[in-house]
Amino acid sequence: MRRALDRGLILAGGICAALAAGVLATILGAITWRGASAISWPFLTEQIQRAGASGGVLFNISGTLILLGAALLVSLPVASALALLHSVYLRSERARQRLWMLLAVWSGVPSIVFGLFGLMLFVKTFGWGKSWLSGGVLLGMMMLPTVSVALIERIHSLPRKYGEAAAALGLSQSQVIWSVILPQCANGLVTGLLLGLARAAGETAPIMFTATIFSGAALPHGIQDSPVLTLPYHIFVLSQDSLDPAAGARVWGAALVLLGLVMALSLVALPARLRIHEEALRG
Amino acid sequence: MEPVTDAGRSKSRAAAARWSGTRVMTFAFSALALAFFAAMVLMLIGQSVPVWRHEGFGYLTGTQWFFQHHEFGARAMIYGTVVVSTVALALAAPIGWGAALFTSEVLPGRWRLPVKASIELLAGIPSVIYGLLGILLLRERVYDALQPFEPVSGDTLLTAGILLAVMVLPTVMTLCDDALRGVPAAQRLAARGLGLTRAEAVLTVVLPQAWRGMVAALLLATGRALGEGIAVFMVVGRQDNQWPENLFSLRPLMEAGQTLNSKLVGSETNIAYGDPLHWAAMGGLGLILLVMTLGITWAGARMIRPKEVHAPRA
Repeated sequence: MRRALDRGLILAGGICAALAAGVLATILGAITWRGASAISWPFLTEQIQRAGASGGVLFNISGTLILLGAALLVSLPVASALALLHSVYLRSERARQRLWMLLAVWSGVPSIVFGLFGLMLFVKTFGWGKSWLSGGVLLGMMMLPTVSVALIERIHSLPRKYGEAAAALGLSQSQVIWSVILPQCANGLVTGLLLGLARAAGETAPIMFTATIFSGAALPHGIQDSPVLTLPYHIFVLSQDSLDPAAGARVWGAALVLLGLVMALSLVALPARLRIHEEALRG
Repeated sequence: MEPVTDAGRSKSRAAAARWSGTRVMTFAFSALALAFFAAMVLMLIGQSVPVWRHEGFGYLTGTQWFFQHHEFGARAMIYGTVVVSTVALALAAPIGWGAALFTSEVLPGRWRLPVKASIELLAGIPSVIYGLLGILLLRERVYDALQPFEPVSGDTLLTAGILLAVMVLPTVMTLCDDALRGVPAAQRLAARGLGLTRAEAVLTVVLPQAWRGMVAALLLATGRALGEGIAVFMVVGRQDNQWPENLFSLRPLMEAGQTLNSKLVGSETNIAYGDPLHWAAMGGLGLILLVMTLGITWAGARMIRPKEVHAPRA
């Protein structure tokens, strides 16, 4: 009886794990299988034609990268500031807990709510219009908690003696930040940024009202009212509106390109992230 | 958890409190972030005021949404959101818990990192790709499976729920795995030393201690499910005003529906901007969604020790 329970529990857990692994394999397999046949050199280097039925996704890739670049520039200083505020400047444990809680709920905010807010604030109130600027700033603010939390976890795994040695040398608080904390924790920041970007790259809801259109844009000419094409929105529109089978086949190619971009970003971040996380869990 | 520079402060409190450039920048950028968040909440509240004036409490309880007639009732969409999330959780919870139990208690140590890595990758797949898979693969399967009940199409609340279950599965797994591994290994060893089998050790020693974390994992996953828009939009059918006649029948699951998210992602948001009342109604949907999600995420984050709370979507 006892052994049966033991076996049963392990078996049940194993089945669940196998199911989850199977789902992952199916998803990756389906996209790779169908996407690989749609990808060719012209597909990557030409612009969209005939509503996605021919041509390629060059400007969708460039648009996505432009948005990510803007998001990176926005979230780097703001997320670092929040992390430093949490780990260095805030003195009361309560205030730190509150900030941590804010970051937790921030990362839970539905992406469409960000989209609505971006439409209200950036596009209409600020008058930036549908533009890579609106979308980039919005994505930067969305990835804020991911970046901050990664940096905070890294700062907390920093040995205390570093801070003590710096203090013994008479370094001021700012000097400690610039010459001890930030250099030592740079990998945490980079990891967080990569992960945040990986997530931002696939977001559709926040940028559809603020930054992206389906066709008719190339490289942006200005800052305001310069929408870009993006991969997620391309997939979004093609997968539901297109009746043309040629476009239907190509949507898998776009999906594979997007997946490749996202996976590349998360794969680079993965080893460092797992190590930091394991340390944080043990500590 | 103490700040790294505590010792530095003892040098001279006055010197440490001086406003250096770094300090000013940190506070300025932090203030910017806080202002952004506050502005988001306040703006959604502010912009939705007209619809609360127009509909009153009926905005939440009304079942009819006809924007051409300025009739706005969000009940059917709230219902859709709840049903879809419930289906997702009912499917993802047992599988996620079971898989986490397997990875943390059974799998040998050297397998841990690859498995954890795969879960993280699964969590990173963009929702629009899930939506695409839903449209092209899942929808037909669901349609075929529901054949005896004569569904109109494969776009149903059930399809959206299944798709969401797959999407939140990594969140459940990874947070549960963390919670289980938070229980010290020494306790398992002690339990085994007393002659308990592995299953008994897990059930009597590990699970009770990890329980909070495992429930928190579900709450955070629910938060994610509530916030997911694109994939749901693509397979939910987007039929307005689907308030079921009988709340306890399974029939609504096999029909098209609308969730708060799918409504907001749709083209109606663009149309609404010209009409203040219509726009307020859309903003109000965003506010309801935000309040639901924030509440659930907050509850989930509170249940875990702060150290273990990481970005729930990771």
